[in-house]
Amino acid sequence: MGNGIFDPTIGALNTSLNLRQMNQNVISSNIANADTPGYKAKAMDFETALRTALDVGDQLKMEVTQEKHIAPQSQDPIHPEIFDDPNGVESMDGNTVERAAEMAKMAENQLLYDASIEMMKKKIGMLRYAINEGGGNR
Amino acid sequence: MDFFSSMRVSASGLEAQMKRMNSISSNIANAETTKTEEGGPYRRQDPVFMSETDRETFGEILKDQMDENVQGVRVADIVKDPSPPRMVYNPSHPEANAEGYVAMPNVNTVQEMANMISATRSYESNVTTLNAAKAMAQKALEIGR
Repeated sequence: MGNGIFDPTIGALNTSLNLRQMNQNVISSNIANADTPGYKAKAMDFETALRTALDVGDQLKMEVTQEKHIAPQSQDPIHPEIFDDPNGVESMDGNTVERAAEMAKMAENQLLYDASIEMMKKKIGMLRYAINEGGGNR
Repeated sequence: MDFFSSMRVSASGLEAQMKRMNSISSNIANAETTKTEEGGPYRRQDPVFMSETDRETFGEILKDQMDENVQGVRVADIVKDPSPPRMVYNPSHPEANAEGYVAMPNVNTVQEMANMISATRSYESNVTTLNAAKAMAQKALEIGR
């Protein structure tokens, strides 16, 4: 993205929504396995994952400086790093899921997902406003 | 990798907790059962939970690290509690041995009740995650409306 009528913000929101969804998957996996002996709670660092996915600061971006270079694909699939939650305390059965903490993480994740959706709706609303030459909101 | 993955995982959690609940109700119902098909008193049942990588279709075998980490749960086995039966002195009981003792099931009702509360809470938290995933998916449908 980043060209045409869709500005980079929509691309960023898209990535953010995808990561939020992946985070939801990780959390639901933890909650489903809250009673599984030996299961280690998984965690995903959303901020780092988003920074990597959006390549903030262009540190890792591949540039096309010669005509023979192949332009990097803009729609690279995102692979957030998932690791065993370091804050987990092992219980008697070797399980490290903290149910309350997971529920809190899920609530936070859901709220921020909704916020991104609202942003996306506003962005598209603005596009629509321009398409309709400012005539009417819808 | 989508919301349905999260929903499947939560559903597997619901399923597993339901099976656990079945074992608990079986244990409570048979707390006084002295005679079983395999002989001897009833033995307490306990489900063994096992995490399992969520896989929707056969085509998902080429999965990435993300899919490895999203795990559902299933009941791998239902084991019988090996602890010895409770011996109760009751010479008039038809199952009493020569010394007048009856082998009663190794079920502790209080323990089962505590287990039941735990299962209920786990079930509820899985319902909450399922609803959260559903709400998020529904919210996404509002984009562009």
